[in-house]
Amino acid sequence: MTRCLRLLACFLALTCARAEDYVSWEMTPPVAGPGQPFKLQVRIESDVILGPADRVGRELKPPKGMALRFSGQLFRANTTEATLNFSGVAPEEEGAHVIPSFNIRFPAKLIKVPAMTVNVSAATGFRREGQARAELAMPVRTYYVGERIPGAILLKGSEQEMVNGSFGLECEAEGFTFQQVGARNEELPNGQGIQTGFELTPLRTGTSEVTINGIMLVNTGGLGGFTASGRDRPFTFRRMVTVEHVPETGRPAEWTGAIGRFLAESVSVSNPKPEVGEPIRLRAILAGEGNLDRILPPEIGSSETWDVIPSNDRRFRRAEDQRSFTYTLVPRLPGKQMTPAIRFAVFDPETRTFQRLEFAPQPVTVTGNAPSKVDLVSADPGAAAGTPAAKALIGLATPDPRARGLLDPGAQVVAPLARSHPFWTTNLTLLTLSATLFAAAAGSAYLLAHPEIRRRARARREVRAARRAAGTAVDDAGFAVACVRGLRAGCAPWIEATPEALTQGDIRRVLPAADAAALDRIFRRADGAKFGAPSDASLQAEKPALLALLAELEARL
Amino acid sequence: MRTLWLMLAGLIAAPLPAAEPDAGQAAYAAGDFVGAIERWQAQVVAEGATAGRLAALGNAEWKLGRKGRAMVCWERALLLDPRNAVATAGIRHAQSAGGVERPALTWAEDYAGFLGANAWLVIATAAFWVALLGLLIPRLRQREPSEWQAKMVVAAATIFLLSLPGLWGGHLHARRAVVRQTEVSLRLTPTARGEAIVGIAEGDVVRTDRPFNGYVRVTTADGKSGWLQAREIESPWGGGLPANLDTPKAP
Repeated sequence: MTRCLRLLACFLALTCARAEDYVSWEMTPPVAGPGQPFKLQVRIESDVILGPADRVGRELKPPKGMALRFSGQLFRANTTEATLNFSGVAPEEEGAHVIPSFNIRFPAKLIKVPAMTVNVSAATGFRREGQARAELAMPVRTYYVGERIPGAILLKGSEQEMVNGSFGLECEAEGFTFQQVGARNEELPNGQGIQTGFELTPLRTGTSEVTINGIMLVNTGGLGGFTASGRDRPFTFRRMVTVEHVPETGRPAEWTGAIGRFLAESVSVSNPKPEVGEPIRLRAILAGEGNLDRILPPEIGSSETWDVIPSNDRRFRRAEDQRSFTYTLVPRLPGKQMTPAIRFAVFDPETRTFQRLEFAPQPVTVTGNAPSKVDLVSADPGAAAGTPAAKALIGLATPDPRARGLLDPGAQVVAPLARSHPFWTTNLTLLTLSATLFAAAAGSAYLLAHPEIRRRARARREVRAARRAAGTAVDDAGFAVACVRGLRAGCAPWIEATPEALTQGDIRRVLPAADAAALDRIFRRADGAKFGAPSDASLQAEKPALLALLAELEARL
Repeated sequence: MRTLWLMLAGLIAAPLPAAEPDAGQAAYAAGDFVGAIERWQAQVVAEGATAGRLAALGNAEWKLGRKGRAMVCWERALLLDPRNAVATAGIRHAQSAGGVERPALTWAEDYAGFLGANAWLVIATAAFWVALLGLLIPRLRQREPSEWQAKMVVAAATIFLLSLPGLWGGHLHARRAVVRQTEVSLRLTPTARGEAIVGIAEGDVVRTDRPFNGYVRVTTADGKSGWLQAREIESPWGGGLPANLDTPKAP
């Protein structure tokens, strides 16, 4: 009994779970202007086969100011899905308007559609009055040779004149290529018209006029473009544009013509564990907006680790804005290797700067054995058959970390001895000491060879002292003694004699111009007592002359 | 006695046992270049940079495709030992197969490369002192120099004069640097908006001149002069391991 109840409960749970219906809705445009027509599409997925809906509009009660009617349904036999379309006109009042929940009757069951909200805003630019018009959307700036300039013709209608389509779009411009892209009459996101995209590519530099012509189909009666009330209306745009070459300033060496905004989408290798000599493919995908189809593949050079066969892949998927570059790599050495980095430069026409992209190296584990001799082979697809390979690789020597140089002590910093302060300080100190020692020795030797220098110096000092003593002497005796001492000391070097041995006559030989009487008086006053002839004569009159004589003697020394 | 002499002769004549490869060499031989670099770098940090270790590091860095670091290691190894075979082979290999450009050596740099800058300076200093003392000592002693003293002075002066080109070549060689950044533009002016003259690849060696405003004036191997940012180049002198100038990847 218990088991039966459990089975029943499971059955009921499954039944309830399957009984849920999924209802979704979409409004075009998502935000409508006041009074703007809109389309409402309701999609239903159920667990039972639905069939056609019946009396759909009966329970439909649009909010105040909104017109809404059932315009048709789409269903397939024996399916559980149904799509119902409604047409409406947005209310004049801005804001969120809620369409109340309502039921839709299908043969199998009744399905409840939840409440839906219609947002109305005057900011959408919807025009109720006025003529349909065409607008040219194209960047206004300096263009560059080879770049892809995206543009579009926007055909905007109004409530009175709706744009149904366009044809005959053409471009008259010298030095440009013109190409329509995308759907011809793609609906604008705000539902107020259609647009036609195109691409312009400048081929040469200069200033020229670009003229774009076309015809749009305008419906003034609301019954379609090919009815009596529909008419075609031509439009023309003229624009002066300036085309330059991509600047050479700051242009990286690896720039291969890419203009736009790109990113390195992905890079992959076909086999991450190849053997030596087994080719693998390295595929890099570049994505973004720009002249993807005009880019030359970046070059990768062969190395001792890889032989690289250059990419010639020009696969370009416009719908995905992607471009792939494929290289064939042949590993030459075993071990854990990294594929070469693919470096790429892009010129951004908006910022006028170059940007660098890099597809990162991929790790590859190469198995097998290295060949006995590794020769670098450059694969050049353009080379004629039988062309000799590139010059042979010299190769790296086997490392020997124990090797040392002549003066290689193994310092933490490899610094030149010439920048060593202790080295120069020591040498300069020794040089200074040597110079001092040499100067002292030379001076000493010179003085030894010329003793008169020292004698004169000593005599000069003694004359100066005697002159000072004579000048300060308080009596004539002291003056006379000091003067005589000074005269003897000053004259001694000239006749190479001891000062004490000089007589008055010796002084007169050295100083022949001296006053003999004055010398006689001063010698008698100083030495007279020794020889028994003392003199008391006053020396005041001779004092200046004798002091001057001492000064002259000092100067002569 | 005869047996003893025979044993001694055998010992002298016996070949020296081959040195066992260290862990770095083993890793290098096994293709684990990252492991080899880690081991040799640890040796440099622990025991100092020698020409052999730097040259070995250069080989491993080159194997990993890091041209700038490899060239710095090799150039640095040649400064310590101008005759280091591994570094010489590495630079030749880089120039021939790797596309690295290196200024041609002047005659003075060639001359200096015979011994190395430090050896030339030591020789010049020794010769200078020998000549100076040979002149001074007899004068201090106030005696005529003897014949052998005169010969010694002449010989020392000759060696000193011969070492002058070596010193000059070493000075020129020291004013070189290796480009460490992947893509570098040689600028016309030492400013951020300086016009790019030419692109320089990682690993290229340039001659350096005066610095200014965070830039260094350089001359490339093909004679073009311009300015590079100081952080874009690394001098072989003044470092042990190559500086870490790699741009960190965004998380």
